[in-house]
Amino acid sequence: MADVTVVGQGIFLRGSIRGEGDVEIRGRIEGDIEVGGEVTIADGALVKADVTARRIVVRGAVAGNLTGEDGVRLEQGARVVGDLRGATIGVAEGALVRGTVQTGNAPAERGRARTAAARETKPAARAAEPRKPVPAPAAAAKGNGLPRRPAAIAQEERTGPPPPVVPALKKGARAALRKRSR
Amino acid sequence: MANTVIAQGITIEGELTSEEDVVIQGTLRGKLVSKDTVNVESGAIVEADIAASSLSVGGHITGNVTASDRVDLMPGGRLIGDVKASRLTIADGASFKGNVDMDV
Repeated sequence: MADVTVVGQGIFLRGSIRGEGDVEIRGRIEGDIEVGGEVTIADGALVKADVTARRIVVRGAVAGNLTGEDGVRLEQGARVVGDLRGATIGVAEGALVRGTVQTGNAPAERGRARTAAARETKPAARAAEPRKPVPAPAAAAKGNGLPRRPAAIAQEERTGPPPPVVPALKKGARAALRKRSR
Repeated sequence: MANTVIAQGITIEGELTSEEDVVIQGTLRGKLVSKDTVNVESGAIVEADIAASSLSVGGHITGNVTASDRVDLMPGGRLIGDVKASRLTIADGASFKGNVDMDV
């Protein structure tokens, strides 16, 4: 079989890596990684990419979602901002994660189904019980010309605990809402 | 062992910037800039402009090639594109189509 693909320390790639085989990353990558084998993100690597592979081992820094069909393992020193999905997920002491972690088989499909279900149930629930007018309508009225989605989400947040899976608010969206309602 | 290897079966698309030597056995599309040696081995497919200190071509390259030092076309290598280098060798059995600029 072919050698391991190595992206060395002195490398900066803006683009995608795809195909069959193992990949080891020690350099910087911005883009996408989608391979059939094992992806190792070494200590000192900086990856701004969604990574999809059979197995993923992280010792470096990643900003992006990690999907490992067989598993995802974060070793000591790993720093991940993004969602983890895989049949098994291991996080070692000293690894940092910020994001959703989801284990189980067929992770991608289940994730998609859950998000879809959450999206479907949310508007129904809102319609079923008209709540007492919270400050949200005022905000909604003010923000009439603006896209409706952020206002709807704000209402959700104010009236109860957040639903299990929510599309992440854009950076600064919450601050913008607060400013608007003032 | 070389620091950076693009193995067979792997396709990289985009812009690759390197400060070390690069060995390509798989597929590369886009652009490659290296401060060191680039080695395109037999079986590799490169559709990219390459700038390197020196380049050895055993696989197939489509794109313009610039080397500050040298370009070597090995037997079985194929290069379609212009070459700009101070030294160029073309081995028996290599194919080449393009212009050569050796800044004389």
